[in-house]
Amino acid sequence: MRVVHYLNQFFGGIGGEEHADTEPQVHDEPVGPGRLLGQVLGENAQVVRTIVCGDNYATENMEALTALVLEQTKDAQADIFVAGPCFEAGRYGVAAAGLCVAVSSELDIPVVTGMAQENPGVDLHRQTLYIVDSGKAASAMREVLTKMSDMAHKLASGQDMGAPAEEGYIARGILKDTFVEQTAAQRLVAMLDAKVKGEEFESELPAPSFPEIPAPAPVADMSKARVAIITDGGLVPKGNPDNISAWAATNWGSYDIAGKDGLQGDDYEVSHRGYDTRYVEQDPDRLVPVDVLRELEESNVIGELHSQFISTSGLVNPIANSRRLGREIAAQLKESEVDAVILTST
Amino acid sequence: MRLTLAIHQIGSLSLGAATLLDGNKLVVDPEELRLLILEDTRLRSVDIETVSPGEDCRIGVVFDILEPRAKESGSGPNFPGILDPIGVVGQGVTHVLRGVAVTVVDGGAGLENGKILEMTGPAGEASPYTSLHHLVITPHSAENVVRHSEQAALRLASVKTSVYLAQCALEITPHSAEIFESDGPVVKGRGGLPRFAYIGQVHSRQRVAEIDEKILYGDNTAGMVPVSLHPNEWLDGAVVTCNRAMGAETYFYQNHPVILELYRRHQDDEITLVGTLATMAASDNDERDRNCMLAAEHAKWNLAADGVILTKYGGGAPHADMSLTARRCEELGIRTTVQVSDMSWDRRAESALLFNYPVVDAIVYVGGRDTDWDVPAAGRVIGGSGELAEELGAPRRLIATNVCGVSSQQGISRLRAMVH
Repeated sequence: MRVVHYLNQFFGGIGGEEHADTEPQVHDEPVGPGRLLGQVLGENAQVVRTIVCGDNYATENMEALTALVLEQTKDAQADIFVAGPCFEAGRYGVAAAGLCVAVSSELDIPVVTGMAQENPGVDLHRQTLYIVDSGKAASAMREVLTKMSDMAHKLASGQDMGAPAEEGYIARGILKDTFVEQTAAQRLVAMLDAKVKGEEFESELPAPSFPEIPAPAPVADMSKARVAIITDGGLVPKGNPDNISAWAATNWGSYDIAGKDGLQGDDYEVSHRGYDTRYVEQDPDRLVPVDVLRELEESNVIGELHSQFISTSGLVNPIANSRRLGREIAAQLKESEVDAVILTST
Repeated sequence: MRLTLAIHQIGSLSLGAATLLDGNKLVVDPEELRLLILEDTRLRSVDIETVSPGEDCRIGVVFDILEPRAKESGSGPNFPGILDPIGVVGQGVTHVLRGVAVTVVDGGAGLENGKILEMTGPAGEASPYTSLHHLVITPHSAENVVRHSEQAALRLASVKTSVYLAQCALEITPHSAEIFESDGPVVKGRGGLPRFAYIGQVHSRQRVAEIDEKILYGDNTAGMVPVSLHPNEWLDGAVVTCNRAMGAETYFYQNHPVILELYRRHQDDEITLVGTLATMAASDNDERDRNCMLAAEHAKWNLAADGVILTKYGGGAPHADMSLTARRCEELGIRTTVQVSDMSWDRRAESALLFNYPVVDAIVYVGGRDTDWDVPAAGRVIGGSGELAEELGAPRRLIATNVCGVSSQQGISRLRAMVH
């Protein structure tokens, strides 16, 4: 197994922060922790090439560094690419993780890196990489490299990867079904028992942490604002012209309401399987309140109702998909010079 | 309240000339049962068949599965509000044919998202139902019977058959007895033990129940606020599933995994089971706020619970009701655990939860979305119509969430989605 290894300037033996601008250097041998990596990988593997680069250079020239690493890794006929371990070093972690993603997708060979949970490289790429949990202490280098070596062998042989705790990688946030000994009822009661007694318990799903989305500045003057309606309640014209799925919709539609004082049930249907849709089907204004907004427009409470409403189905929609839909919708509304949006959900 | 289940362990099930229990052999006279079921003029005919444990047989679309049970005279009504007049259940003696299930096929339902009972193979092994002897009934409705009436007829046929079968055991000495006794929230002499309660949804108003849909003591739950039930009432016929219940069958109300586990710990003097609440998932925000608040208030001030287990019904939206109730409980100082359904269609943990309350931090995550089986053609098929049976019997992919008992919402599931 031929291994290409990436290190920053510190672990590459060049020096500390004062050498963070160092340009990439290529060595056809193991360097620094690479020597130990070679040992723990065993007889059938060797570090054939090492790329060392300063943290600042990497941050500022990621594109050039990526191109070089891809070229060198390909040229070295690598079977596997290893970066780090980076422990808590943030710029190093971001570069290592980014290079791993690039090598994996461009060269289609297994990649391994290691870093502390807190490293920003983890947040960026945990979903696509197996990142060995290195902890914070570089003194654990041998132990961490052993875990990374085990991971490298496992990935190279194409074996199924077990759970994060067993294999020592940082959870990628991917769900996998398993049959367990205890019924859900037994798990519920045992967990409650521990929780009530103040003992430690492990939730089967850690609480998600989502970044705060800051509220935008208030609309300065609503009487001059162009207002649009967006709904994830699945209201579509009869026949569902954009084939918006009734759950986990992957697309959205914008539908003309210019000149309409309200919406008629005969003209619309609902593509959504998650709520009792009868009341909306009777009177779509209950979900997409064109009638009320027209009144507000006439009395100049709002400047203007945007000529289209936007609709999708939010039901069980994966977050990544929702983010994409949101970005696309926002871009279109921005282009249409919409100042404010009313979101209606179900 | 004290309930004695008189358990008759059944080893075989067959059709014969008279319905009787001979040792552990149950024989069913299909003609007598047919006449009983067809007293309901909404039905024109009924197929009655038996299926053995582990048999190469596929059954669908399943309307409901029940355990045959009958109340002793003077012990209260059978399925009050559906079969017998309204009256309290959960007391006296109820005879149980353990090892047998009444499985009702809904001939009017489509296969898409329909529930299937797979009796063999790896999919079968994952289901708690395949070790049972099934009496499968497939009622066919009379002409011009509207859909909800057809479903109401299925419901009546299901409880009739359950009671009819077990009635043959009423005069027979059971193999064993299971006693369920709890004095409720005012229980004395159990000081120091944590007080646990259960809050379970019995319907979701994502689909408003039909006017003749009988769920809780015969009520369709429209306008229902949280209802206090003794744990025994769940076990003894107060609650059945709705017309189209995903991940729930009446069998696991009668054998409610959460209530049985709480009772086990209660009987072992580890906890005190103080009571339960039946709730439903709302269709609008005011209804949700009101119901969640009332359920938490009940748990705090009427049950004086230290800990509460919550389960949901239906699809995605009921998570909002369950988690808000849990949050309200936590705010009142009651610790909670919740069981959620698998809602992550992209298998990302970030998409898995439909709520985000930091205090609702003890979650049991029943998986199911990436468990499926490619099954061969079935040796035997019981489907509603010839056409559907043909489609059902062909080789197909069975998804865990559609196989009865695998990704159950009632607590029987051994599936767990792990975060990798």
